[in-house]
Amino acid sequence: MTFRQFAYRNVIRNSRIYAAFFMASCFSVLVFFMYSMLLFHPNIDESILGFMSLFGMATAELILVIFSFFFLFYSMRAFLEARTKEFGVLFHLGMDEQQFGRLIFLETMLIGIASIVIGTGFGFAFTQFFFMIVREILRLDTLPMYFAWEPFLLTVGVFLTAFIIVAYASIATQRKRRTIDLLQERIEEQHDVTLMRALYGVLLIGFSYAGSIIGVMMENVAFLFIVPPLGILGTYYLFSDTLPYILERFRLNKQRYWRSSLVVSISETIHTIRSNVRMFFVITIVSTLTFLTIGALATVASYTTQYERLNPLGMVYKSTIDNPYEQQHIASLRNQLESEALSYNLSRFTVVKQTSSYTKYEVEVFRESEINHLLFSLGYPLVTLGTGEAMFIPYSEDAIKTLANHTVRTVLKENSIPLVIDSVYPQFIFPSNFVSSNSIIISDEDFAKITNPLIGTTFQQSAYRLYTFDVPQWMELEEIGVVINAMVDQENVNPLGYQLPFYFENAGLNYSFILATYSLFTLIVLLVAAVFLLAAGSFVYFKMYADLERSQKHFDVLQRMGLTDQELHRLVDRHLMPQFFLPWIVALAHSSVILISFNILLEHFVNISIVDEVIIGFFSLIVIQVIYYYLIRWRYIVHLKQGD
Amino acid sequence: MAILQLKDVTKVYEGKVTHRAVSQLSLDVEKGEFLAIMGPSGSGKTTLLNMISTIDTPTAGDIMIEGIRPATLTKNELAHLRRRKLGFIFQDFHLLQMLTVEENIVVPLTLDQYDVEEMQRRVDSLAQSLGLTELLHKRPNEISGGQAQRTAIARALIHRPSIILADEPTGNLDSHMSREVLELLSRVNEQQQSTIIMVTHDPIAASYCDRVLFIKDGQFFNEIYKDERRQTFFQRILNVLSLLGGGVGDLSSVRVSQRHPQ
Repeated sequence: MTFRQFAYRNVIRNSRIYAAFFMASCFSVLVFFMYSMLLFHPNIDESILGFMSLFGMATAELILVIFSFFFLFYSMRAFLEARTKEFGVLFHLGMDEQQFGRLIFLETMLIGIASIVIGTGFGFAFTQFFFMIVREILRLDTLPMYFAWEPFLLTVGVFLTAFIIVAYASIATQRKRRTIDLLQERIEEQHDVTLMRALYGVLLIGFSYAGSIIGVMMENVAFLFIVPPLGILGTYYLFSDTLPYILERFRLNKQRYWRSSLVVSISETIHTIRSNVRMFFVITIVSTLTFLTIGALATVASYTTQYERLNPLGMVYKSTIDNPYEQQHIASLRNQLESEALSYNLSRFTVVKQTSSYTKYEVEVFRESEINHLLFSLGYPLVTLGTGEAMFIPYSEDAIKTLANHTVRTVLKENSIPLVIDSVYPQFIFPSNFVSSNSIIISDEDFAKITNPLIGTTFQQSAYRLYTFDVPQWMELEEIGVVINAMVDQENVNPLGYQLPFYFENAGLNYSFILATYSLFTLIVLLVAAVFLLAAGSFVYFKMYADLERSQKHFDVLQRMGLTDQELHRLVDRHLMPQFFLPWIVALAHSSVILISFNILLEHFVNISIVDEVIIGFFSLIVIQVIYYYLIRWRYIVHLKQGD
Repeated sequence: MAILQLKDVTKVYEGKVTHRAVSQLSLDVEKGEFLAIMGPSGSGKTTLLNMISTIDTPTAGDIMIEGIRPATLTKNELAHLRRRKLGFIFQDFHLLQMLTVEENIVVPLTLDQYDVEEMQRRVDSLAQSLGLTELLHKRPNEISGGQAQRTAIARALIHRPSIILADEPTGNLDSHMSREVLELLSRVNEQQQSTIIMVTHDPIAASYCDRVLFIKDGQFFNEIYKDERRQTFFQRILNVLSLLGGGVGDLSSVRVSQRHPQ
């Protein structure tokens, strides 16, 4: 047996322990490789969506690499710790430091190269399928399979580097060990749990929660920066001190502790928590990340589903009075709609800007009959206004509530028209890009009195025209007005500012874009979340196997003392459940708080709520987790019974 | 000249309570000697053995192995010293679970990068003399405690060390297997002129040795040499143990009442 064979056999014959870890690393290599295949695809970077997908893939790759690196490092450390006794024997038998380093390096590289080869191989096999999905999402005609060396080179290069760094880092962390400590069954030195340190956990987490809520409420970014470090530190203290402290206190209360059947379970739980602080901590953080990615997905999902509510109109064309293209554009839009056989309802508005004596600001004035024309086609209630009466046009859903009890007496200065604005139209009509936040409807009689333009401008400058196309089948509008839309898009990025005499928005076209982005995002997030979940699962699996021998002895003793099968199952539940669900509950709490504050922010700026989607997302995660638990519990009991 | 020399060796553990595990102990072991070290629990036997094993260092005093002072060596040189000059036998065998019996035996040679053919030659001859030939391809969890300890002994012999250090080698074995292992050790000692230092609780195990050193509270207490008959030597060991008093009897007195050396 040569030294290399020795390292090889160490890994191959420990395959049961390495299995989950190996699977998780294979899977992250696989996902990384498929993203790279898309990243280097020769015909993807043509459209704006192509750019979006490139950006998404690159971000996902970065997250994957960073995460994989920490996952690999932590797992390697856990493996080495579990093998201290073995290393103790080897050092005793005369293994030197270089040989130890070589052993770890060879073993890590063996696993690393195997998972890179298998991950890339499967990745290449699945790429065709992946491309099919992406092609559907991006509505490309073809996304052919191709072969290039860049994706292979990138994947192999990145993961090989990661494995090499992880190997050297793991060796470096093991250097300080002394042989004599390795061999003897060490009673781990545990610091005393004090009230002080227990409070740290609660306080730090409390501060970070408060920081997140207050930061959002006050729209103060500085507060948001303290949230992650405080939360992470607090989580660590929570597991290392706060929970053990609480359980220890409960233990002191013999009245309750001894009477309840929890005697064994609680002491077990304290032991489990205290000896696995780092595992609990890592799983919590990884799970929080998973929840947050799901939350981000929910945000996009809810934006997509609430898009229609936010865009009641199919297409809107805004034009200055002196726009030379006006007639030509409207005619071409109508022609296109007709040739696509889409029914529509065109409303035309002339909107005039005036100065309000109440606010001293500009106010955009709409005419009652023109608004009613649109409202009629939308099927919304009509507006009836007498002379001197006016109504707010809401610029967002929230505005309906805030403006409802708002009464303003004002005079349109230029033409001395007195108005009482005492109501708000109860529906959201125009997309927020088109009307200013100061828009009102006045009666036709009052509108006719407007003869003087906005002070300091001509009539042409103080007014604009608005064409709205109400199209019931608005989702099929993606082929309409593509040319005009492209001109608008181009002008939008003009560094000198927007200078075209018109503006155009096609909800259908945007919708298809948003839908594609959303689907792409879903694909990316689901794959990344799957990597996270698998990684967290692999930690649990590994810990379970590492503790199996001890547990076997433990349950063997209990069975000798007369324990029925049902009781055994109940005990196994009490033993596994905290390990399994405790990090999840904490992660659920963390991500809930972050998502709640995120929701406040979203409602404020984009006016959407993600509560429903997040609840659905979390619920499905919990279901997956419960299934996963019963799977692991089943394997665990099988192994326990084998030990007899 | 002695193969192992200890001079005024002292080991102090610093901690919340300073504890003197070994105190000014001097000892010479000659080549080919089979030495037992006995003493009550906590008397410093294992600490002493660890210091001879070079995995622990004395606080004061001098240790010399075949004329080499481990204290002057680097960590790596110590590793090389252990892998060439010392063989180890442990109470709970410490076989590597993922290796077969054969692979476990050759680990010391693997670490020293021997030629594979040479390894095979040595394993084969050693397995034959220790009766392990049938077991070579089994894994440690498939063999009995006695077979595991024989494997561990083979591992301790394969590199032909100058000194074999055994820490309670019969501690985890039943009486039948203990006898087997002890007879094996004394055979190895006689035939190959190996030096063996064995820490033990068991007066029967000690009665197989040439000399028994008793320590108490880390200090030299007594030493006796073997005579013609093992039965009388055993009786003399028991006498010293009863003088040592207290904790010594904890395990062995029960055994003594149950069985006698054959």
